[in-house]
Amino acid sequence: MENTFKISSSPHVRDKRSTQSIMLDVIIALLPATIFGIINFELNAMILILTCVVACVLFEWLYEKMMHKKVTISDLSAVVTGLLLALNLSPDVPVWMAILGSAFAILIVKQLFGGLGYNFMNPALGARCFLLISFAGRMTSFSYDGVTTATPLAVLKNTGDVANVNVLHMFLGNIPGTIGETSAVCLLVGAAYLLIRRVIKPVIPFVYIGTFAVLIMIYALASGRGFDLTYLAAHLCGGGLMLGAFFMATDYVTSPITPKGKVVFGMILGLLTFCFRIYGGSAEGVSYAIIFSNLLVPLIERWTQPKSFGEGAELAAQGDPSGTKSKMDTKSIVVATIAILIITIIAGFALAYVYKITKKPISEAEQAAKEEAYKTVFADADSFESYADFDADAAAKILKDAGFNDDIDEVVTAKSSDGSVLGYVVTVTSHEAYSGDLQLAMGVADDGTTKGISFLSLAETAGLGMEADTDSFKSQFADKNVSQFKYTKSGATVDEEIDALSGATITTNAVTNAVNAGLTYVQSIGGGSEGTTADNGGDK
Amino acid sequence: MGLLTFLGGIHPYEGKELSMEKPVKEYLPKGDCVYPLSQHIGAPATPIVKKGDRVLVGQKIAEASGFVSANIHSSISGKVKAIEPRYVPGGSKVESIVVENDGQFEEIDFAANVKDLSTLYREDVKDIIKEAGIVGMGGAGFPANVKLSPKNEDAIDYIIVNGAECEPYLTSDYRRMMEEPDKIVLGLEICINLFDHAKGIIAIEDNKPEAIALLSEKVKDNDKIEVHVMKTKYPQGAERQLIYANTGRYVNSKMLPADAGCIVHNVDTIASIYEAVVEGRPLYSRIVTVTGDAIENPCNLLVRCGTNCQELIEAAGGFKDGVVPEKIIAGGPMMGKAMFSLDVPAVKGTSALLCMTHDEVADLEPSNCIRCGRCVDVCPGRIVPSHLADLAEHGDTDGFLKYNGMECCECGCCSYVCPAKRHLTQTIAGTRKTILASKKK
Repeated sequence: MENTFKISSSPHVRDKRSTQSIMLDVIIALLPATIFGIINFELNAMILILTCVVACVLFEWLYEKMMHKKVTISDLSAVVTGLLLALNLSPDVPVWMAILGSAFAILIVKQLFGGLGYNFMNPALGARCFLLISFAGRMTSFSYDGVTTATPLAVLKNTGDVANVNVLHMFLGNIPGTIGETSAVCLLVGAAYLLIRRVIKPVIPFVYIGTFAVLIMIYALASGRGFDLTYLAAHLCGGGLMLGAFFMATDYVTSPITPKGKVVFGMILGLLTFCFRIYGGSAEGVSYAIIFSNLLVPLIERWTQPKSFGEGAELAAQGDPSGTKSKMDTKSIVVATIAILIITIIAGFALAYVYKITKKPISEAEQAAKEEAYKTVFADADSFESYADFDADAAAKILKDAGFNDDIDEVVTAKSSDGSVLGYVVTVTSHEAYSGDLQLAMGVADDGTTKGISFLSLAETAGLGMEADTDSFKSQFADKNVSQFKYTKSGATVDEEIDALSGATITTNAVTNAVNAGLTYVQSIGGGSEGTTADNGGDK
Repeated sequence: MGLLTFLGGIHPYEGKELSMEKPVKEYLPKGDCVYPLSQHIGAPATPIVKKGDRVLVGQKIAEASGFVSANIHSSISGKVKAIEPRYVPGGSKVESIVVENDGQFEEIDFAANVKDLSTLYREDVKDIIKEAGIVGMGGAGFPANVKLSPKNEDAIDYIIVNGAECEPYLTSDYRRMMEEPDKIVLGLEICINLFDHAKGIIAIEDNKPEAIALLSEKVKDNDKIEVHVMKTKYPQGAERQLIYANTGRYVNSKMLPADAGCIVHNVDTIASIYEAVVEGRPLYSRIVTVTGDAIENPCNLLVRCGTNCQELIEAAGGFKDGVVPEKIIAGGPMMGKAMFSLDVPAVKGTSALLCMTHDEVADLEPSNCIRCGRCVDVCPGRIVPSHLADLAEHGDTDGFLKYNGMECCECGCCSYVCPAKRHLTQTIAGTRKTILASKKK
């Protein structure tokens, strides 16, 4: 036949919207928060964002090349994952951790389950939670203006007083937190863009935030806080709620496709976030709430299949009143909703209470370990009691004034069997060690005699710095009544002098300074040999 | 009151401006005409002429072979050249009567068919409609007399004239409404009078304000007929959505419109009923919109059924200089059928020839479903196309039925909006066909 034309089944026209253009819109919507994050956290944030984006794209490309699959990096979904992951990281995390997170997100969560559209949970959040579990300390250490500090949400949880946080700052975003979560206003601008461009529907975020807000207000009323709108605002602007609700709970792949399912999903998210934040161990609950709800999506969808156009109309036409508005429909929805809510409540409280259940044994074990350390540095003592007058801020000031940059972590009093105070055990952290921080406990008798030292955490070079944890080194501090120690490389001759560890002067210096800091502190509270009057002089 | 509409649907580029203001021109075929025996749903017609017979315009050449079947009439005068399988716009080969055109267009005596309407019983009117071979001209091709003979005639409350013309590019119904509004009003009256309680509704999308004004003027003194204005949205003219928008009644795949007290006819079908009853003319012509960006002069042609499509393209000025269209569609872009060749006849259901210089579907390779839910939002059947397409691909017929796959009307909205460019409608339609075929066995 001379003229043959292209054949395909109808329809023959397509909308302009493509996966790529949707992903591009998400990236555009994330730009305000991204730019704010870079301004807020400076170079670190920029490096982490670039690392995550490049690593995610690269891992996707590599995997697809290796598996001889079609390379799909041009759909921009890996860029979105990378960007979201970076925005969910503390600006303090090292670059290698960002790369590890990207690998987990793309390779484990996304590609191993079949690539775009088949991942069972949000890849960026999956990676965040993976990092959070693996490196809890680094992931939850937030520095702001060069100082490590607690996020407003953590402050709110620990102190329970909304007066300790600045809600306006939380709304604007000049607070510590992950790179992209701090500025509620920037996230809202992005969310508005997504809504206007119809990339997302308002159902999930609004039901999510609404459910959460209602529960918080009920909690505020029930806990005697009253109708406290500032408290509510702090919870709404704090943590990852805005980022999570608008950018991650709405992730197409891991949220229900059915209209009713979206409502149920939003409610579950609100409920779980509330449980985790209020009853859980950590101040933040959005990430876990979302990835847990992601797992419920197939179930939610199964129970919220829409009623097709005119379903049951044939019964109505035959005069059966149960036709178009059949009771079965409402009933099954109610049953499904209740079932899902019960699962959620049980799971939510179970997860939240795991922390509480494990908290006691963990703290008991920690206590026992500490007691043992105390015993080694203060062998004469029979029992140890927390020193009631310990004030971390005052201690920091004393040390700073004396020229130390060590931290006093904890102070306990050592008591004899008859209950009289023998001295103190001080836990000191030094930031001057060769690799990272070192922590030691030291016993100081009431007369200023150093009873002994013991390392609680030491991660120096084996064979050099690690030699500090030997009796021959530690015993140099034991049972010496000096006001300050100093180290020497030419052999100790007097009590004040400590033989430096060969090849590990930095470690020796750190330990010596830490011990001196501890001594300075004990002297300041009246236990020193400098002759300051002790408050409880009668004990002498 | 807001505009009448339904939940879901899409707003594709309409393309109607190409031919909307072009008055209908009659086109008389130059070459032979081909009459496939199956231009309707149901059993193919049985030829009642044989090779060598001379036939006239309007002469019945094939007879309905069952209850759901339709007569076929010649649209030209000439000798029957052959009765043989020929390609039809749908792409299959169908037994067809080929008539050699003698160029005379000698007609049978139509006036002899005309009877005084006031003397006719309802059954007589239905017989005239049946005899005239009138089928649904929106594309489905359901015999009109069968639609007008429901089980329970008392239950019919509405006869709806479908003037939505929601398919992009199509303007044939619009031209009919603008140029022959009386045929529509009178044709509708004929249908209303077949029932005791029926009222007439002429339903038009709000992108055709002139047609709305014109028809409203025509029926302003008629207390049995109303013009309804509907929101412009595809597929507003889909039968179930049309009924819902105009009456609030639901019809599903297990029902016929008559079960909800409604009968729906296309504008062209109603006009044909008028012509058959009042003028005595059987259905042998229709309005075809020849349009698309490859066509020199997009236009609306009054076409004799059986005319070769190549001739229609030439009647519209041919293709633009140097343009070779990639795709030619019989009907609109949403539900029309792509043709591999122009050497096929225009049939009763051919509403348009759409010639596109570029086939945008071929460029777009399907990728993974990202579960965005756009298909769910637009689906007028309120089912979950992405899930059904999944079930269809895995051959899970039970699951397909359980999740209401048969409620799909194949309107194409899901494929249209899919950002991953998945072939949702196509996949679902394939499984529906298989299931329907196995039911018949």
